[in-house]
Amino acid sequence: MSKVRKDNYTSEAASGFTPRTAMEEAARCLLCHDAPCSQGCPAGTDPGKFIRSIRFRNVKGAAETIRENNILGGTCARVCPYDRLCEEACSRCGIDKPIEIGRLQRFAIEQEEAFKMQILNTPENKKNEKVACIGSGPASLACAAKLATSGYLVTIFESEEKAGGVLTYGITPARLPQNVVDQDIQKVKDLGVEFVFNTKVGEDLTIDDIKDKGFEAIFVGTGLWAAKIPDIPGKNLDGVTTAVDFLKNARESKGTLDVGSSVVVIGGGDVAMDCAVSAKLLGAEKVAIYYRRTLEEAPANMEEIQYAISLGVTITTNFAPAEITGDGKVEFITFDGRDKKSSAKVAADTVVFAIGQAPEDMKKLAPIEVTEKGTIEADEDGKTNIDYIFAAGDIVNGGNTVVEAVAQGKKAAEEIMNYFEKKGVK
Amino acid sequence: MAIKKDLSIDFLGVKCENPFFLSSSPVGSNYEMVAKSFEEGWGGVFYKTVGIFVADECSPRFDNVNKEGLPWVGFKNMEQISDKPTEVNFENMYKLKRDYPDKIMVASIMGSNDEEWRKLAKMCDEAGVDLIEGNFSCPQMTSHAMGSDVGSSPDLVRAYSKAVSETTKIPFIAKMTPNITSMEVPAIAAIEGGAKGIAAINTIKSITNIDLENMTAMPVVNGKSSISGYSGAACKPIALRFIAQMLQNEKLKDIPISGIGGIETWRDGLEFLLLGCRNLQVTTAIMQYGYRIVEDMKNGLMHWMDERGYNKLDDFIGKALGNIVPAEDLNRDFKIYPQFDDEKCIGCGRCYVSCYDGAHQAIDWDAERRRPVLNDNCVGCHLCLNVCPVANCITPGEIKWKDGREQIDIAMKHNYE
Repeated sequence: MSKVRKDNYTSEAASGFTPRTAMEEAARCLLCHDAPCSQGCPAGTDPGKFIRSIRFRNVKGAAETIRENNILGGTCARVCPYDRLCEEACSRCGIDKPIEIGRLQRFAIEQEEAFKMQILNTPENKKNEKVACIGSGPASLACAAKLATSGYLVTIFESEEKAGGVLTYGITPARLPQNVVDQDIQKVKDLGVEFVFNTKVGEDLTIDDIKDKGFEAIFVGTGLWAAKIPDIPGKNLDGVTTAVDFLKNARESKGTLDVGSSVVVIGGGDVAMDCAVSAKLLGAEKVAIYYRRTLEEAPANMEEIQYAISLGVTITTNFAPAEITGDGKVEFITFDGRDKKSSAKVAADTVVFAIGQAPEDMKKLAPIEVTEKGTIEADEDGKTNIDYIFAAGDIVNGGNTVVEAVAQGKKAAEEIMNYFEKKGVK
Repeated sequence: MAIKKDLSIDFLGVKCENPFFLSSSPVGSNYEMVAKSFEEGWGGVFYKTVGIFVADECSPRFDNVNKEGLPWVGFKNMEQISDKPTEVNFENMYKLKRDYPDKIMVASIMGSNDEEWRKLAKMCDEAGVDLIEGNFSCPQMTSHAMGSDVGSSPDLVRAYSKAVSETTKIPFIAKMTPNITSMEVPAIAAIEGGAKGIAAINTIKSITNIDLENMTAMPVVNGKSSISGYSGAACKPIALRFIAQMLQNEKLKDIPISGIGGIETWRDGLEFLLLGCRNLQVTTAIMQYGYRIVEDMKNGLMHWMDERGYNKLDDFIGKALGNIVPAEDLNRDFKIYPQFDDEKCIGCGRCYVSCYDGAHQAIDWDAERRRPVLNDNCVGCHLCLNVCPVANCITPGEIKWKDGREQIDIAMKHNYE
């Protein structure tokens, strides 16, 4: 019999290091001359430096290296696709297996919390300009933190009642516990960034209202919250849901959501894995993932795929959804094989579509240029067609990793500061 | 165990089934402990030191040094000689010898004056032990009339060795302290006094760690601590040095030595044998891992003997001693360049960093290929080889003779573990 993991909704997928085991792992690090791991991080985190700090018994220095560079250091330690980034670059792969960089980052950030360190500060002389950030996901948080540490006054407008965006509403807590997100967000709050909740810009408040409040630059980091569901028969039946709603409901229910005994998840990304894992942890007996392409083509992290499988989730590839049937409520979903010969009919109480998310209507926000897909047309520095509006994160890149959003949010903050500088010169 | 080799050895006229003995320490403190160690295969015991003085111990009394999370690189011990009544200890020794006649019982004794040494020697006679060890070397005694303060005085060592040797016919071994510049001096004094063998080394006076909580050394005893003996793997190089110097001394070269200091594996033990030791003592590794480690010591040594075609310990005892020569006698006519295996290299650049910062800037770094490139500055020091994390990636390569020096066939190391 296979040893399938039996976890609770709130139990963590992976354990952390203790000071001793962290030292043992840091001692495995070769402390490379050119630290290829440090060149592998989109957000510019320097693992070569923070691992060296742990090795030389300076764990506080390690926490500084991480936090100074990445306001979401705790979150990224949990959700980064390390195996495709820094750990893939690790020289130790040439001997046995890479250093567990993500887990060491998690350790350093846990020590930051244990020692109640305050690493980031705002300058005494504040700048005059105020910036509004729309949305409180990774890109906005990174942008706001960067601006705040440079002396700007920042207010974040969030449509939900809690901050974090996808971190709080979109990822299963097994992978990203809420307290980790909350600790990172607290660092932003500690920098004096204000949060206005339950306020959807474009509906409850217009861009002009924000400008009238004295905000001279606006950052848009709203993310992707419109769900995609393919236009197939039965898509409106009860029990058919989207990843966004499913994960959000699961988190808000604190693990009490009734998903039935059989759940089918459609998709091949980390979000699909999160949905499947959540369904399993919420008590579904049978959870099956169906993906229209091969595992090799699936964008999900292998670690997330393996975690799902370890819980007893099955993954079937090369099957696309064709029809959902049931009497008012979903009973079956049928799939067509990619080979045009196979087909499958699967009983399900819940069907979750995790096939990517789409932007909401950005035109409602401002007369901003958007792409065909509806994402905001912005350059790599976050500049849009409107000089005082900047954008980054999923709403620009169409859905990428948290660490990418952090990197882009930071870049946009730089660009906003450039904008103020140029404006000041005039 | 499939392999069977004769590990027996004569030590001071006593036939030992193998050379692996417990040293006089907490690991051989009572009947039950020693009996268990015998059952698990140790050849004999240097029973925990017995004196007229009965120790009053502190708590806690141990500490260890770790490096990069690896514990017990070195170990500190504040325990003195036995805290049991003298008679009880001798009774234990008697019973152990009675119940395990093939195992070797060595009484370790320590007096504080001539009379006490004689009295203890007499008790050894009565208990019927095989050998006697005089503990002239415990560095943490609460009396200056005993321990390493005695061991660093050749006159006292000579006098007490004489006191014991005059009292009993049982061969006497003097245990040396390393807290001294030249061990040959007290060792010769012991032989002059009638000792037949030498045991070395006892522990090294140490402060292992300073505790940042109490601003004292470790272990913390009511906010205070004391200097005391350091043992374990970190001490092996120091032990080997003292032993080699004694065995290369004209007056000591034929004196049987029992080697002590950081022995954890068969290989450590073998190194002592290759210098010429005829007996091996272990404590720290047992304190960390238990008596069972002797199984791999014996079996590992047998396998090595099998590989080399040796049938008994005397086939190789002392084989390395003659090759340890004064620094001025080394051939300095050549240098051996390192060679780099680009296939095995993983590109970490540690050789480059160490060569630049710690040697002769003889390695250039090819950043694109992530590979080291040797330049003309190389002096053949092999720091790169020592720092490389990949086995057999950097190895000794081309021999370069200094201008005008005679070229001969040289012996060099090829296989690194």
